[in-house]
Amino acid sequence: MSGKQFLRRAFEYVLTFFAAISINFFLPKAMPGDPLALIAGDAIRQMGSEKITELRQAYGLDLPLGQQYLVYLGNLLRGELGYSYRYSGGQSVLEVILDRLGWTLLLVVASLILATLIGSTLGAWAAWHRGQARDLGLLTILFTLRSMPPFWLAMIIIPLFAIRWQLFPSGDSYSIPRPVGIQGFLDVLHHAILPILVLTLAYIPTAFAIMRSAMLSVLRADFIRTARAKGLRERDVRLRHAMRNAILPLITLVTLDFGQMLGGVTLIETVFNYRGIGSMMYEAVKSRDYPLLQGGFLIFTLGVLVINLMTDWLYPYLDPRLKETRA
Amino acid sequence: MSEASRAHPRYFLLQLRSNSRISPLAASRRLSLAAGIFGTSILALLAILALAPQTLAPYDPTEIIGKPLQPPGGKFPLGTNDIGQDLLSELIWGTRNSLFIGLIVALIAIAIGTVAGLISGFTSGPVSKLFLRLVDLTLVLPFLPLIILISAYMGPGQRNIILVLSLVSWAAPARLIRSGVLSIKNEAYIEATRALGGSWLRLLVSHVLPGVRSIVLVQFVLVASASILAEASLSFLGLGDVSAKSWGAMLYFARASGAFLGDSWRWWVLPTGLMITLAVLSLVLIGYSLENTKSER
Repeated sequence: MSGKQFLRRAFEYVLTFFAAISINFFLPKAMPGDPLALIAGDAIRQMGSEKITELRQAYGLDLPLGQQYLVYLGNLLRGELGYSYRYSGGQSVLEVILDRLGWTLLLVVASLILATLIGSTLGAWAAWHRGQARDLGLLTILFTLRSMPPFWLAMIIIPLFAIRWQLFPSGDSYSIPRPVGIQGFLDVLHHAILPILVLTLAYIPTAFAIMRSAMLSVLRADFIRTARAKGLRERDVRLRHAMRNAILPLITLVTLDFGQMLGGVTLIETVFNYRGIGSMMYEAVKSRDYPLLQGGFLIFTLGVLVINLMTDWLYPYLDPRLKETRA
Repeated sequence: MSEASRAHPRYFLLQLRSNSRISPLAASRRLSLAAGIFGTSILALLAILALAPQTLAPYDPTEIIGKPLQPPGGKFPLGTNDIGQDLLSELIWGTRNSLFIGLIVALIAIAIGTVAGLISGFTSGPVSKLFLRLVDLTLVLPFLPLIILISAYMGPGQRNIILVLSLVSWAAPARLIRSGVLSIKNEAYIEATRALGGSWLRLLVSHVLPGVRSIVLVQFVLVASASILAEASLSFLGLGDVSAKSWGAMLYFARASGAFLGDSWRWWVLPTGLMITLAVLSLVLIGYSLENTKSER
């Protein structure tokens, strides 16, 4: 990618993030009712009119809309996402998010890597045996898996693996009291396995479908026929010629789709009571904690953009043709 | 590399294998036909449940007719929920809710998506550019967090769920319909009609639209299936209409009451999720079948 292209891409990302911020700002204004009620919650009913006017000024709600928007942007630039009214102990939205981000990253990164490896291996294997019983069987299984709500899978896995067989804990991110040292590390791993399993199962069909169709189109290419005509072993044709070329579309499409699927972690964390951003969103929904919800939405948007940016950056290394044009 | 692999017979065999395309293609054609038949049959069965739940369901799902959390057997084939309503009746009534939401959201989203796709594919003015920007933006924003955020502000309720899902579901169809329009825009028959002086609107409706019909159909089915999943997810988070009978809400109550940790996951959670899976799968299979028959033409 040339420098100019890269700048254009970066500009698009900034624009998208800006749009997400604007949605956050204008959504509450577009809703019926007092915006103060959205910030201060139900407590507003117990306040006198003097207190309400005071709060209105404190939050800048008496300013014209354009000016409010500028104030909002300025606050964001300073990293002020507002205050959660659930965590009234003075924790800001940013603090709550930073507290929980690591847990979500653990689940998402682990399951994305696992699902890409498993799904694309299965996809390539199915493509090599196109039309045969194993291809059709895999297709059927993965179509079915794709149609299952992942949060429902979690609700089946928990009573089996955690309650009946007692293999893994049924929820939370760690035991209480929390063990220290290597024990603590193993404890975290032990708690993460079931959520990672469910998320991996949820992501596999996407990677499978993309790899299968990429592989099918690569296998039709002329250079594959040439490789076979040279008398290369079938294994070399598949792994070194076909696979390498199918990886490019895989990476682009997988990252685009995974960006979209990132949000699915919300439901899984909720079922497992896992301490990540996703279950934070759920708790925020339950208590109508709007500042926290908005923060969650922003961080997920940022996650999608970071994944896209990483693809742009990674691409030239995978496809040497692009590297040459950059120079 | 071994000598054997370079030998002629093997090369010949490989040639044979790569040339024998007929059998895999025939197999995939058979697969897409089977997928279509299977998907349509499931959907038809679900449609019957959705159309006549009052005669098919044994009880009124909103009425408390037994002790709470009863296991299956006797009067209740699937047992009762946490407040003593019949689970089978809830399941049957939930079909109507899910299929209805899938259908309505797909209708709205495809209507918007088709108009946006046709306009942005056929014209190149500022309106077209604006549509394109909106499509890109909608596609990149994280789907689930976005619909959670909007529905939390709008409040629970079926109408709001339909509104939110339509709001975010039109973009992918619009993008695909646009590229379909772009690919047929310069075909001879379109240019001929244009040269003959046919009106702009007529050209779109009677020539361009039929050209992208198969894309529209496939997208309709896929949006419907995605909406059924999304509705279940929102209801599961408690953002749906709690008083309405829906599969997502059933799972919400199974979790809220903690019942799924006990034995009742087998008759409460399992059948409910299977119904969602069947509904989504039937539409996905129909979409797959439509897409593959299209590409062979």
